[in-house]
Amino acid sequence: MKNRTLSFAKRNLIEMSRDSLSYIFCVAFPLVMLVIMSIVNASIPKEAGMTLFRIDNLAGGIAIFGQTFVMLFSALNVTKDRSGSFLVRLFASPMKSRNFTGGYFLPLIVVAFVQVIIAFAASFIVSLVTGTELSVLGLLAGAVAVIPSAVMFIAIGMIFGTIFNEKAAPGMCSIIISLGAIVGGIWFDVEGVGGFMEKLSRCLPFLYSTKVARAAIKMDFGFDTFLMPLIVVTGSAVVLTALACFFFGRKMRADLA
Amino acid sequence: MSNAIVTNGLIKRYKDKTAVDGISITVEEGKLVALLGVNGAGKTTTIRMLTCLSKPTAGTARVLGHDVVKESDEVKKLVGISTQDTAVAENLTVRENLEFMASLYLPKERIGGAVEKAIKAFGLEEFRNKKAKHLSGGWKRKLSIAMAIIGEPKILFLDEPTLGLDVLARRQLWTEIEEIKKHMTIVLTTHYMEEAEALADEIFVMINGKIAAHGTLSELEARTGKTGLEEVFIKIAEEY
Repeated sequence: MKNRTLSFAKRNLIEMSRDSLSYIFCVAFPLVMLVIMSIVNASIPKEAGMTLFRIDNLAGGIAIFGQTFVMLFSALNVTKDRSGSFLVRLFASPMKSRNFTGGYFLPLIVVAFVQVIIAFAASFIVSLVTGTELSVLGLLAGAVAVIPSAVMFIAIGMIFGTIFNEKAAPGMCSIIISLGAIVGGIWFDVEGVGGFMEKLSRCLPFLYSTKVARAAIKMDFGFDTFLMPLIVVTGSAVVLTALACFFFGRKMRADLA
Repeated sequence: MSNAIVTNGLIKRYKDKTAVDGISITVEEGKLVALLGVNGAGKTTTIRMLTCLSKPTAGTARVLGHDVVKESDEVKKLVGISTQDTAVAENLTVRENLEFMASLYLPKERIGGAVEKAIKAFGLEEFRNKKAKHLSGGWKRKLSIAMAIIGEPKILFLDEPTLGLDVLARRQLWTEIEEIKKHMTIVLTTHYMEEAEALADEIFVMINGKIAAHGTLSELEARTGKTGLEEVFIKIAEEY
């Protein structure tokens, strides 16, 4: 039986697996940040009471930070195809809009999952070195719990890739990468800062992504700490995925007009 | 012999330009027809409408009896296209590109056989595991055409297939097009008169979005009193 979505997903996965940038941005860069921040954490005196970079908090932050680069790849996959004739050929084939969107999403979910597994494996090693307790079960729970967040970032990337061209889309993704890192509470405690920063963070889904990851790793499945943020992230993922499908479908219809 | 393509008053207008201006053509099944014209004549736009890549502003077009607007899903299963730019997945190997395209049209059990057949037909054996981005222009173009026919279309659209190729690569591709011609209807657009002369059963000359003349080469020669397609084309363009 012909499954055009899976065929297209396979093609996209192969293309990404042969692009060295995938490994640099999706794997190497988050790992480098994990090591650097662990070193920073080691130099922070205990009296400061700063636990943001302690591995049980850092692991979740790194997972979300890595996903922002998956977003970049999501945008690049679409813009690269749009800029050449390959997509024209596919538009003339029996593929439908849903085959394209599914085919772009599926391999990136795989990439995001593999990425988080690698990040958490590295985090576990760091925890052994630093003597900080990190449960394997918590890491596995975290790997599953961040899937809605991965879908959300992939959807954002796909929206940018559909709306903007090859030059503008990465720039837009950079804004989200920076925004996610700042208001997502990855590199500093936005709730501790308070004021406008905290309000802004609470209006965007990125902080909730980080909270879900951190809570799951600590096996803290309380309503306020885990469930409510998970609902926000899942809701955002659903809305943004629907928007990504809408924008791509609209773009496809416009190109075929 | 039944008709593969029938258009009636086909028009495509963009904001301030009429790219195709009311063309009515009929292409019989099994024929290779050439759409000949200078840049901007409307050749590519015509092909885009016939392959459901662009909607006509007015008029109708039927491909093997199916309306290109109302029955585009059916039309897409019956046609293959090789665009002006080589449309291949650069990071995929020759074999992977062919497998991917085959998987969009054929059942799983037929993909392997179809890929091997295409590789053999286009002499791609030594490049089967080479990434498309490492192929020369000529081989890439061959791969692009192989990808267009691997879904076993009834009608193949070749939009300037030999553009930018050296004379040897062009001649080699002609041989392959002659071979494909035995199995399907082909619509070819080209700037090269000798290409249309060598390959086409029938020629449509397009000027400013209109069909200025059509017929076999000998018919066009008789009508214009000129010999050779280049002279015929110039005469038609001057008189139009």
